[in-house]
Amino acid sequence: MEKKSFMKKLTGSREALLAVILILLFVVITIISPSFLTFKSLTDMLKNNAVTMVMSLGMLCVMLVGGIDISIMSTLALTGMSIGMLLKYDHISSTFLAFVIALLIGTACGFLVGLVISRADVPPIIATMGFMYIYRAMGYLVSNNGEWASAAALGKFKDFATTKFLGMSLVIWVIILCYVIFFIFMKWTTLGRRIYAVGSNPSAAEVSGINVKNIKLLVYTIMGLLAGLGGALQVSIYASAMPDMQQGGEMDVIAACVIGGVSMSGGRGTVLGALLGSLILATIAKALPLIPFFDQLWLNTIKGVIILVVVVVNIVLQRTADKNALKGREM
Amino acid sequence: MAGKSGRSINNVPKSPVKQMIFSWEGILVLLFIAANIFCACFSEFYNVKSLLRQMPVYLAEIFLMLPMAYILVLGEIDISVGSIVCLSATMACIVANTGAPFIVVILAALLVGTACGAVNALVLTKFEELPPMIVTLATQIIFRGIAEIVLGSGGSISVTNTEGFAALGGKVGRVPYILFLVLILGIIAAVILGKCTFGRRVYAIGTNRLAAYYSGIHVQKIRFIIYTLMGTISGLCALFLMSSSFGANTTTGNGFEMDAIAMAVFGGISSTGGKGNIAGGLISAFIIVCLRVGLGQRNIHPQVILLIIGVLLIGAVALPNIIKEVQKKAKTVK
Repeated sequence: MEKKSFMKKLTGSREALLAVILILLFVVITIISPSFLTFKSLTDMLKNNAVTMVMSLGMLCVMLVGGIDISIMSTLALTGMSIGMLLKYDHISSTFLAFVIALLIGTACGFLVGLVISRADVPPIIATMGFMYIYRAMGYLVSNNGEWASAAALGKFKDFATTKFLGMSLVIWVIILCYVIFFIFMKWTTLGRRIYAVGSNPSAAEVSGINVKNIKLLVYTIMGLLAGLGGALQVSIYASAMPDMQQGGEMDVIAACVIGGVSMSGGRGTVLGALLGSLILATIAKALPLIPFFDQLWLNTIKGVIILVVVVVNIVLQRTADKNALKGREM
Repeated sequence: MAGKSGRSINNVPKSPVKQMIFSWEGILVLLFIAANIFCACFSEFYNVKSLLRQMPVYLAEIFLMLPMAYILVLGEIDISVGSIVCLSATMACIVANTGAPFIVVILAALLVGTACGAVNALVLTKFEELPPMIVTLATQIIFRGIAEIVLGSGGSISVTNTEGFAALGGKVGRVPYILFLVLILGIIAAVILGKCTFGRRVYAIGTNRLAAYYSGIHVQKIRFIIYTLMGTISGLCALFLMSSSFGANTTTGNGFEMDAIAMAVFGGISSTGGKGNIAGGLISAFIIVCLRVGLGQRNIHPQVILLIIGVLLIGAVALPNIIKEVQKKAKTVK
């Protein structure tokens, strides 16, 4: 096998390309506004996008098996609201317990979604759409018909986001921990590789002894777990819990994955890609107000255009690659 | 099986009357009656008069269900419609506020909708490998984003001259225009999908796209027409929406795509393509409208109604699958 040149490697690897784009973005933004590339500004950016970053890991797993989950932000609202109300009415006061409860509720929600999708064969988009309504409404019911849990009601819990450990907010340590765990999980554990196997070719995976249904159940449960974690983080970072928080935010998570090169049809995508995808989205959101003539109002349009361009460019690259491969065969 | 309801209970007896009752549409009709009885018992204000008065607000979404049914039969999905509604409503408001005659306003709304639909259609047919979910996700963000830019920091606009829109919301006796239009368009959509060559080709594509392509169907042309039409109908929906709200804001049409999909899927139109018909979709749409009116009269929060819709949606798809599975297991045991 011939050795690939450095340039080819760079353009061939999705992650390398994304990293180059991210660095370019950083350079351009720093030239425009030098205050961007400071430790505080960067950690603030990470903190504000913690929810999307953590949850894009779950979405990566779901999309790897060819599914999609649009119920996640409703799960987030339900878990966040639940702990918000528990803290407000002094049923619990410990931060640790609140996190455990959030994770448990999230996992239960995800498990239910997984059951419906894997056991009753409901298409993921339909099932998660239904659960999007159900969990959002449940979050609303938990909140006693629309009550908020404000900063004062949250007590010690909101301090979690402001507590620092080794100079960085605990929230950022949670993000790092999640990414490290998932990097190892997806790359070096049997279960992680099985998720890839199911995504690449479900029937082949089935024949080779993988329980496809259980893997599907697993990915939606993981998604639920991370949505629960997202709920706790959201409440802690913004120091408030309301039933309509992060409505429509699932699109950001999906967008982060798509930009990061996770394929909708399954089997393709990496943890690194999800990380870079969500970082690029976060950087653009942070940078836009710094650029003159660009209002915050433009943010959504630009986000949408980026997603569209990324997927279209992907297809064009794929087509040329296929054509080149065929050319080789014709010889 | 194309054209028949996507979900029918197996072992259907041969008698045509029984067959009708056991088909998904038959069950839906029974559910429709049950929903009405439930609403009548639940709320003392629930009668034909109040139903006709409160219905128009919810009826506009049924327009969206019709082309959505075509898209679902193709085996695809369009989640950008809510944003198209928002953008066309915004543009129509702006045009109306310049003092243009109302026919121009109508044309503007329909044109903006069609243009948005055409963008979706163009991307999806030029790059046919792209999953519609991702493309329409992107355009969903873009269209609403454009509406946000146009609306500016205030985020809302209202019509100064409400005459034209008020006329749209008019009534014949007690029956609002929109109900007639929904029924007429519904019948047209049902006939085209069920009886015309175009409709049968849609089923063919939804069942097996490659086979349809090789049998000489212009797959991309049909997809282009349907996605563009989806945009046009979204413009129509926006017009009727404004006949009751007389304005638009950045959240106009939020979640409409989900409602339209829910109506269609609950009506037996499979999201994997090739199955279902408009009749089922229409009946399920009216069930949801009646539930919304009835529960809304007793001040039940809209979220609770959404919860019920969610349960119905999942139940409608999951139950037949579970029944099938159980029957299969019972057979193997024997």
